[in-house]
Amino acid sequence: MSNPLIHIEHIARTYEMGGETVHALRDVSLDIFPNEYVALMGPSGSGKSTLMNILGCLDTPSSGVYTFKGLDVNEMTDDDLAEIRNKEIGFVFQTFNLLPRATALKNIELPLIYSGISSEDRKERAIKALEDVGLGDRMLHRPNELSGGQRQRVAVARALVTKPSIILADEPTGNLDTKTGIEIMKLFQELWSKGNTVILVTHEEDIARHARRIIRIRDGKVESDTINPNPVTSFEIP
Amino acid sequence: MIRISEIQESFRIAFEGLQANKLRSFLTTLGVVIGITFVILMGWFLNGLDAALESTVNLLGTDVMYIDKWSWSGGQNWRKTMQRKNITYQQAMEFCNSVKTAEVSLPEAHKWGTTVKERDRTITGISVIGVPYSYSQLPAGTILYGRFFSQFEDEYSTNVTVLGYGVAKALFPEGDAIGRTIKIGGRTFEIIGVIIKRGTMMMDFVDNQVIIPISTFFGVYGMTGRSISIAVKAGSAEKLDEARAEATGLMRSIRNVPPGQEEDFSINETQTFKEQVETLRLATWGIGIGLTLLSFIVGIIGIMNIMFVSVTERTKEIGIRKSLGAKSSSILTQFLVESASLCLVGALIAFTFCSVVIAIAVRLVPEADFLTPYVPPQLILIAAIVSIIVGILAGIVPAIRASALDPVEALRYES
Ligand SMILES: Nc1ncnc2c1ncn2[C@@H]1O[C@H](COP(=O)(O)OP(=O)(O)O)[C@@H](O)[C@H]1O
Ligand SMILES: [Mg+2]
Repeated sequence: MSNPLIHIEHIARTYEMGGETVHALRDVSLDIFPNEYVALMGPSGSGKSTLMNILGCLDTPSSGVYTFKGLDVNEMTDDDLAEIRNKEIGFVFQTFNLLPRATALKNIELPLIYSGISSEDRKERAIKALEDVGLGDRMLHRPNELSGGQRQRVAVARALVTKPSIILADEPTGNLDTKTGIEIMKLFQELWSKGNTVILVTHEEDIARHARRIIRIRDGKVESDTINPNPVTSFEIP
Repeated sequence: MIRISEIQESFRIAFEGLQANKLRSFLTTLGVVIGITFVILMGWFLNGLDAALESTVNLLGTDVMYIDKWSWSGGQNWRKTMQRKNITYQQAMEFCNSVKTAEVSLPEAHKWGTTVKERDRTITGISVIGVPYSYSQLPAGTILYGRFFSQFEDEYSTNVTVLGYGVAKALFPEGDAIGRTIKIGGRTFEIIGVIIKRGTMMMDFVDNQVIIPISTFFGVYGMTGRSISIAVKAGSAEKLDEARAEATGLMRSIRNVPPGQEEDFSINETQTFKEQVETLRLATWGIGIGLTLLSFIVGIIGIMNIMFVSVTERTKEIGIRKSLGAKSSSILTQFLVESASLCLVGALIAFTFCSVVIAIAVRLVPEADFLTPYVPPQLILIAAIVSIIVGILAGIVPAIRASALDPVEALRYES
């Protein structure tokens, strides 16, 4: 087997809140390999987002080892982490997290701005990414002129535009109706089949069933880590 | 390292912000507008002052000094100066005949604050100066039109006069003074020439004078009871020290000042004007700097405040940018550019305002011709730099706060 993209060992994350220690994650160990399609499952408050933030280098663990592509993340400076987020990670959030005043195209250009890509290249790549998610005709629309599904597609395009090693999606369908949710899941399926690595955070069984591997989290610990024997591959709209 | 693309982005964000909050931006920049207005107006005034001083000093001659009973700077004890004996015409002539280092030296007799008449018109506050014909060799004797009086006219106490520029302009605005007559001290004089404009601003008095032969002067006003000034032209500014040394020694011996005792005369130089202007300059600076600092402090507080509001309003945006790979330095730059742009806009408003004020001011006060009718270009640069510095000072703390935000916390922020 190839080297893992992500290797975490005995990761813990605690928060101090009003003198009390909240254990969001306790002793989590995982390996994630290139071109895996993983669902992080678990009830609300189980620590999924905390884990995803750590995997995405937005946050650092209180203890434990995290190596990303063989590099020790704990050793990295804030600027190194920013660079990893910029080049290696593509985030998709439940609330889309688009800049409200920027057009779809500008939103997609953002990560490229922080990698120092020239404005012509930026535009070209952003247009391509937007066309790939089927929104080539919505380039100059602002988020409030787009539907929820369209906004999430823009967010996916933004996550993809830097050609990252991993797509991290935290409840990407949480704010969408079932029909648009399925469309987004179809998009992730396509990305995965093109060779991308996808990690999906969800508390819905229906959504998790699309993934090839399902990791269940409870109370900040891995409850189970199994291969999904029959992943959903059809995207009929019910 | 901050990338060009990020800096471009920072400017884009800054101008987007400015446009989105026009009124708020304008109100916050008010302190900076006022501060920069002071900087520009102060600079403009001092600039004019320098130009005026320069031209006046040049016209009086940088190599010319005046030996006088009085000191121009007035710094000395008034009573002591009062007790000095007059410099008599004989002493002055003895000096002029003996001095070796001077290129030109001559006596000048003054009658201050008299009136001259041209037909039925009278102008007051005029000085009459009696000088020998050699006065034309001094910068102060440079002719604008007509001619200076001759040795012959000088020796024969002719009633001819050369007008200062101010007098000529007041009486003969058409420029047709030559050949006309005016009454000085009750006698009729023929105008034979007009001196170039020399004074600017507070040195106006040098143009409000009429020059007559010294022999004529004594005929009109008498020789006794007045102190004569001696003008000494060294020939070049470098020879001034040597000339001053000789003049001091010579004058001491002519006036029998015992060794070790203080001189009973003063040697005045154009340098004195510089000292006077320096006082005015310091006063301008003192007032200007005080007001400028005050408005900048007010401005900085206002802008800092609005930048804190801006950081809070855009916490989520900062989180999003960080999640997409913005480094702390990128966020820092973004907010610094924003506050610097805000101040730069303030400087632009101040510049426009000052341009209008200056245009009106020079029209209302035509005498202040030493002032430029526009904002001097170097001041535009200074104003721009100062406003950017103010912007950075005002923006640094909010920008640091923004850049230090934890990405996860910032993303969770809901306004
Ligand atoms: N910034 C924080 N401060 C304090 N407690 C937090 C913070 N973030 C998360 N938690 C707590 O950590 C636990 C896990 O949260 P989270 O990872 O968001 O769960 P999930 O995404 O699975 O719903 C929860 O109990 C939550 O209240
Ligand atoms: Mg969550």
